[in-house]
Amino acid sequence: MAVYSVGRRRVILLLLLTSVLLLTIDLRGNAMFDRARILFDGALSPLESAARVVTNPVRDAWRGVTEYDDLHDENQRLQQRIDQQLGAEIAARNVIVENQQLLALNDLESIANLPTATAQVIGQAPSNIDQLIEIDVGTDQQVAVGMAVVNEAGLVGKVHEVSPSSSLVMLVTDPRYSVQVKVLSEENPAPTTTVPATVPSGIPVGDVTTTSSTTSTTSTTSTTLPGDETTDTTDTTDATDGSDPDTSGPPTSDGDGTGSGTTTTSTTLVPPRRDTGGLRGRGPDRLPRVEFIDESAFFGEIEPGDAVYTTGGRSSLAPPDIPVGVVVNEIPGSSTGGVELEIELLAQLDRLQFVRVVLYKPLAERGE
Amino acid sequence: MIVALLRSSIVRIVVVGMMLLALQNTIFADMRPAGVALQVMLGFAAAAGAAGGSERGATAGFILGLLFDLGTGGPLGSSSITMGLAGYVAGYMALINIEPQWWLAAIFVAIGSGVGELGVPVVRSFIGDANVYSDRLYTIVPLVAFAAAVASPLLVPVSRWCLRLGKTEWKAPVE
Repeated sequence: MAVYSVGRRRVILLLLLTSVLLLTIDLRGNAMFDRARILFDGALSPLESAARVVTNPVRDAWRGVTEYDDLHDENQRLQQRIDQQLGAEIAARNVIVENQQLLALNDLESIANLPTATAQVIGQAPSNIDQLIEIDVGTDQQVAVGMAVVNEAGLVGKVHEVSPSSSLVMLVTDPRYSVQVKVLSEENPAPTTTVPATVPSGIPVGDVTTTSSTTSTTSTTSTTLPGDETTDTTDTTDATDGSDPDTSGPPTSDGDGTGSGTTTTSTTLVPPRRDTGGLRGRGPDRLPRVEFIDESAFFGEIEPGDAVYTTGGRSSLAPPDIPVGVVVNEIPGSSTGGVELEIELLAQLDRLQFVRVVLYKPLAERGE
Repeated sequence: MIVALLRSSIVRIVVVGMMLLALQNTIFADMRPAGVALQVMLGFAAAAGAAGGSERGATAGFILGLLFDLGTGGPLGSSSITMGLAGYVAGYMALINIEPQWWLAAIFVAIGSGVGELGVPVVRSFIGDANVYSDRLYTIVPLVAFAAAVASPLLVPVSRWCLRLGKTEWKAPVE
């Protein structure tokens, strides 16, 4: 058993100093350490594969015990949402196509046009501090450190470390994560004007009276059927909550659909106001925050539900306009000056299975 | 020299450490009671301290920490400090009893692991990471310590083998 002595203290002190020295060198960036990590990953990989195979039954049993109820509830909830969103999907596809066409016309970049590498999540960090996941693509698939990682919902994180066949992804919630974002704040929709045009399918022209106003995320439709004195359908939808806009479905008919009426549709696009800031992760149990938002009259009022997107930029590896989340709280007078915004992420980071690495090179690297 | 190195306890610690790291990166990363990743390597470092004393515990923790940082992408040396601390504290506690019973060793391992896990945010804040302190630590530290205590009947004998520790020999005092 250990007996305390000056020599033993020296050994412990030496270990501590060595650790600090290694830490200092690594934090400044060292190619030798990076190479050592890659070699170590190569040596550890067979052991991890074996461990995965051996412990798979235990893991499955654990998940079966701990996640069954949650999965059952979520399954029901998702089934309901699928039903709701079937109608919205068709309208959304149309909007995406139109958006891409507009961006192409104006020579603007769109994330839909960028090459991506689809990856499967094969592990996560064993630490209680770091928010990292491991994916099964690496330099062999042109993945580089810093590239943005997304899923169908939005931004997931960025590539933190890369090896030939796998990469570590730092999630948005990691305390070390930061990215430039813009907050789009909407104004109230303008009053509608009437332009004769649209007729729902199956209803003869002149049979229906429709008045519609649309902003980028809010739409209102009112339909007057033949014989009706008042508006019979009003549906307001916030695009950020994922519910069914239901603005394009046919109105109820009077049976034979041959009554008389008039149709008017108006569309008023209100440009959203925007401001930029830096989004920082704050750990898994806290919402990320956007800092350095200017508390100016120009920015106006921020409201819960305002959308947050990446800004891109000449040197940023994250392309512009990746959806990040929505504002849920505003914290005025913080230490950074200006307001801080708490953001609820669109991507569910605790349930990631497949992600896409956006193989995007910023303008600065392309020499543009 | 190579033979001497192969016969040293370092090789055994590295081999066992890599196996534990493989488990840490797979099953213990997925199975998270209350959202907490149980730290088997930290527990092993504390077990080495409980079995071999503070110096051996700190050395084993240093080596295991290097493996952990290399395998998980963390800043190299940060886990060496925390795991070395775990081994040191567990070994220091073990000074009160020459050959602790299994339950006493489990307590030492739990204390060492708890202190080591508590050291993680401290080290991270020293190297500039923000937002590392949170209320979750009240859940994380006790759970990690408890899990290490539960695993100690397995980890302590393995660490004794790694450190090439034989049974304690009692000698009669020389007149």
